[in-house]
Amino acid sequence: MSRLERIARQSDKAYAARHDLSRRGFLMTSLGAGLAFGFARSAEAAQHFPSAGTLPGGGAFEPNIWCAIAPDGSVNVNIIRAEMGQHIGTALARIIADEMEADWSQVGITYVDTDPKWGLMVTGGSWSVWMTWDVFRQAGAAARTVMVDEGAKILGVPADQCTARNGVVSAGAKSISYGDIVARAKPTRSFSPDEMAKLPLKPAGERRLIGQATTALDIPDKTTGRAVYGIDARLPNMLYGRPKLPPTRYGSKVQSVDDSEARKVAGYERYIVLEDPSGTVPGWVVVLATSYPAAIRATDALKVTWVAGDTAHVSEDDIIAHGRDLIGKPGGTRIFDDPGNAQAVASAHRTIEREYITTSVAHYALEPVNALARLDGDVWEIHCGHQWQSLWLPVMAKALQVPDGKVVMRTYMLGGGFGRRLGGDYAIPAALASKEIGGRPVKLVLTRSDDMQFDTIRSPSLQSIKAGLDEHGAISAMQYHVTAGWPTQVMAPAFMAKGLDNQPYDQFALSGADHWYETGPTLVRAISNDLANRTFCPGWLRSVSAGWTPWALECFVDEAAHESGHDPLDYRLSMLTAQGRNAGKAPSSIGGATRQAAVLKRVAEMAGWGRQLPPDTALGLATTFGQEREMPTWTAGVAQVHVDRKTGVVTCQKLWLVLDAGTIVHPDGALAQTQGAALWGLSMALFEGTRVEQGRLAAHNLDNYTPLRIADVPDMDIVFMENTEKPSGLGEPGVTVIAPAIGNAIFRAVGVRLRTLPMRPDDVLAALRDQTRS
Amino acid sequence: MLKRIAAIAVALAVVAGGGFLIYAWNPAITPIARPNPAAFPHDAVARGEIVANAGYCVECHTRADLGGGPELAGDYKMNTPFGALFSPNITPDVETGIGTWSEAAFRRSMYRGVDRDGAHLFPAFPFNHFTKMSEQDISDLYAYLMTRPAVHMTHRANTLPFPFNLRILEAGWALLFVSPGRYQPDPSHDAMWNRGAYLAEGDAHCGACHTPRNLLMAEKSSAPYDGAVIDGWIAPPLNAHNPTPVVWTEDELFAYLRTGVAPLHGSAAGPMSPVAHRYLGRIPESDVRAIAHYFATMDDAAHRQFQDAAALAAALKASGRDLSGPQHDAAVRLYQGACAACHYNAGSAPVLGRPELALNNALWLDEPNNLYQVMLHGIGASEGQSGIAMPSFYAGLTDADMARIAAYLRATRTTLPPWTDLEAKAAKLRAAVGPPPINASH
Amino acid sequence: MTKFELNGKPVSVDAPDDTPLLWVLRDDLMLTGTKFGCGIGECGACTVHVGGRATRSCITPLASIEGASITTIEGLDPDGNHPVQVAWRDGQVPQCGYCQSGQIMQAASFLKDFPHPTDAEIDAVMGGSLCRCMTYIRIRAAIKQAAGTTTHE
Repeated sequence: MSRLERIARQSDKAYAARHDLSRRGFLMTSLGAGLAFGFARSAEAAQHFPSAGTLPGGGAFEPNIWCAIAPDGSVNVNIIRAEMGQHIGTALARIIADEMEADWSQVGITYVDTDPKWGLMVTGGSWSVWMTWDVFRQAGAAARTVMVDEGAKILGVPADQCTARNGVVSAGAKSISYGDIVARAKPTRSFSPDEMAKLPLKPAGERRLIGQATTALDIPDKTTGRAVYGIDARLPNMLYGRPKLPPTRYGSKVQSVDDSEARKVAGYERYIVLEDPSGTVPGWVVVLATSYPAAIRATDALKVTWVAGDTAHVSEDDIIAHGRDLIGKPGGTRIFDDPGNAQAVASAHRTIEREYITTSVAHYALEPVNALARLDGDVWEIHCGHQWQSLWLPVMAKALQVPDGKVVMRTYMLGGGFGRRLGGDYAIPAALASKEIGGRPVKLVLTRSDDMQFDTIRSPSLQSIKAGLDEHGAISAMQYHVTAGWPTQVMAPAFMAKGLDNQPYDQFALSGADHWYETGPTLVRAISNDLANRTFCPGWLRSVSAGWTPWALECFVDEAAHESGHDPLDYRLSMLTAQGRNAGKAPSSIGGATRQAAVLKRVAEMAGWGRQLPPDTALGLATTFGQEREMPTWTAGVAQVHVDRKTGVVTCQKLWLVLDAGTIVHPDGALAQTQGAALWGLSMALFEGTRVEQGRLAAHNLDNYTPLRIADVPDMDIVFMENTEKPSGLGEPGVTVIAPAIGNAIFRAVGVRLRTLPMRPDDVLAALRDQTRS
Repeated sequence: MLKRIAAIAVALAVVAGGGFLIYAWNPAITPIARPNPAAFPHDAVARGEIVANAGYCVECHTRADLGGGPELAGDYKMNTPFGALFSPNITPDVETGIGTWSEAAFRRSMYRGVDRDGAHLFPAFPFNHFTKMSEQDISDLYAYLMTRPAVHMTHRANTLPFPFNLRILEAGWALLFVSPGRYQPDPSHDAMWNRGAYLAEGDAHCGACHTPRNLLMAEKSSAPYDGAVIDGWIAPPLNAHNPTPVVWTEDELFAYLRTGVAPLHGSAAGPMSPVAHRYLGRIPESDVRAIAHYFATMDDAAHRQFQDAAALAAALKASGRDLSGPQHDAAVRLYQGACAACHYNAGSAPVLGRPELALNNALWLDEPNNLYQVMLHGIGASEGQSGIAMPSFYAGLTDADMARIAAYLRATRTTLPPWTDLEAKAAKLRAAVGPPPINASH
Repeated sequence: MTKFELNGKPVSVDAPDDTPLLWVLRDDLMLTGTKFGCGIGECGACTVHVGGRATRSCITPLASIEGASITTIEGLDPDGNHPVQVAWRDGQVPQCGYCQSGQIMQAASFLKDFPHPTDAEIDAVMGGSLCRCMTYIRIRAAIKQAAGTTTHE
């Protein structure tokens, strides 16, 4: 069981204990059980697709909380993951429908509101398919079993002579649809987890929906303006709010407020100095008005004086310098600490040591963060798109000073997640503002610059790698230090992983460094940059640390190959031995590093590794295991770049990617996610990035923050390995290889090695000048 | 020129002597009872409406600030280097308007810049042009104005400091700078040209904005139609000094004046917008055509036009510059994000509704004023090309952003030397924008 | 009171002249398909048609569209079957979908100007529309598909 699954189960158990429910109740509730639990089934679910479809009404058979079959044959699948572009509902419903042998044309999906019965509601880490794979197949099997058994009775034949296909049970010439079975038999059967685990699952060869092309159920409404996002939420008697943000993310205190100018704005209602017992939004002031434009104008006009926190003058350079200090000192958490690594490095034939930096990256989710909050009876309703409801519901209860269970989140589409909506800094201020005015609905919307100013950025990072090389140039020992702001430490400490000696560390600020290469005795150490943590709220950003640790590791491996005269491809393959801890474990990492070697070989073939290219043009490669060791998505990429020596402009002409994510459930969705992720990788490699200046982000909008646009997109060739292993994730791994592949290609094109992300033309020019000088 | 110098000398002599006072004194013309509107013939009123539109009377005689005012009732605020002037009420109200003015009094004001009482009018009233108008036009205009609804409204007090507030000085100004007398047709040109000249020099008073002024705010007779700054906008040169790469031909001028948009030059924004939309769109097409013909002759369009095909091709090539493939230059990315979606063109001619900046007046003028003004204000659906709108980038672009775009466009879309001091100029024009628009960014 | 035509029907709105059209559409007229992205006219999420031309509504003051004809994503086609919308679905373009109303409105207007667009033309015009999910490859393909089917007005 993975760390995450353990946490999810603990969380379920804790809820069950509180509510005197057995775990059985969670997984297998029969018809009406929802009501017995006190939940009004799906009636309040915000989002159902296809939008023309209807939820199964009365009389539906609910073999478990995840799916229902109505007498008219329609099937509903409940989705507890946030829809932020992955079409996750479609992928997950395909899993359940395949195992159920449902008629796909009758399947609808419901993105549900929060409810304790759902267990852990989080959408991130590329986990969704991987986390749901087993439970949804079991849930589908349970439904199929009941349909076959009840169908057989109606048809008057033994169950073992019946087959289920496409929503119909048949035996010879006789058949009956699932809908008719539900209408006639009114099944109520339920299963214990043990019974469910024993249900036969279909062999991979019998899959009829998984792996087949389909269209995403949420897409049509996204072409007509009908899809409803958090920012579209509306309630009667609602006021609009905008925050007035303090000078520092933490530690600022309001001294005085003067609203004499704000009062001149028509529609201005009042300001509120937020008192936040949860400590999430210290020093925030919210301005309320009868329209959002009025709220914007009044906020601009409101004069607030703060005593700023002590990070008001911190810069990006300070944070990096602090990280360097930390690496030089004892401390941090060891993830690998093989005996004798220090000695092995020190006594190696030769050593190389390098330092790599990545600078701040903003999420810039296109929908600025927002939430609508109100008190309905004694329950606080929060309307917004969110990625980690389970984390923030208790924090919101603390902020509002109400018991757990008195806050519910209504579900909406997310106008971009990318990790930004794993945070609680928009829902809580909306709720606190509403509380101050007696629970009247408040829709708080951050302007773009508000959103960026306190974005939970991808922290600046510093990584240092020192390796010993043997006489053949092979890496014989490695010491790898990783430091950055730790989002999980700041926002969700209970979710931190444990390193050696049971020391906690933020796996989302380390993953990727804990590689599958054979490098002899190896140290991998994670260090929290406390100055970063105090200056801003570090966040999880698409691909989390696996988006930047390969920048160090994969560039370093290339450097070592070059230093020792080896081809970077052969050099890597020689380290992917799949021995020891790199052998892999069933089901998630079965095959271990051999699968990483396979994607690497495949991508090299596709890209024509070793072929001749025009001057100042080259291929570079990189390989990773996706997001984390316990759920590897084996990934390899090649970038073809051209470097203009006059302007320093690096043009990425083409990208090749090969990924092994096990079974690919929704192929077009997988491709879309990988296209998007790879272009995020490209954007962060060459186009976007900012710096912390004076304690805040230098960039505030698109005039000085410049993510990738359509003209910047290179040709791409993406391939998924075909197998039937347990699926891992695909939302992020495409990001991981791009920056190092480009950095390595630049080196091969013009001989300069860049060690700071992003790689700007000025950096290339400076490196070319240094090269000429030396 | 000699004549003008002589006139100045004479005038100074006159001022020195007391004779000036005699010259400057004008008798009041006896007030009349307000004429019965029904007494004016319909056709005279109809003709007068055309005269009024060709002279944009409403524009400067209707309050524009403070939410606007009734038509022709005055109180339009004009900012001069010396202070603010407010225009008078020219509705037939007997107390606050011109209800007691006889036609003779009206004619004297149009020809000599003297009101019914005999007081000199400030030369913001362009009687130096109106003096060229025919007696018939004046008579028709009188008929039109006297049949408008009378509005009882006084204008705010002028804020001209001493000595500029002394109307007597205007007499000397007029002596120096105004040559009274009706338009005299030029027999070397055809009737169409002469009609255009009559309108442009007289009623339409084009030179009032397009001819630079001297230190005493008189139009420089030495530089007619050389272009001038007005209200922070540049009224471009209307002669051969106009710098646009494609010549202003009669067709382009006509389209511009009639519809507010010249496909190869840009659209009428700022103070020029109402000229096309509110006024010249409502006079006979032949008159607009005549004005276009007059200026096309003046800027020697026929002889300069041979370069147009090459200029057009160059502009269209420049239009797509830096927009295809990956971009790293900060100015390019800004242009790409904020401007190119609407301003990019390709093929053999710009698309109507996609103003081609490489051809646009605003990029080729000596100063970035018009480019900046359009960035700051946008162009409403009733301005420029009717029915479409350019947003206001007041909140979208900082002074530095505006400067960056301006410098980039000037360098890549024109062949002219760079503009200077761009950020400061942006700040100055921004400061002059009334209440700033709502900013959803900061 | 500002009067204009919205998706073919006359409307009048009582809001301050400087109110950005975006908020009038979303909050007063309840057409929420048009989205708020950057607020400075540089992301394209708020794109609507003013007089048939793609226009960034977040920085277009209400007063400036007096008398104009506005089309939003909701009014592009009565059944949501404008060739661009169909191509968007066929190509499975949207991911999160938030920018896509703007992308579609921009593309529909673009194809009227450039009925057979080249890649360079797509780069130049669609470059003003940011997609943070980076669906650009599919946007390009869908535009080309729609170019085969778009009829000109």
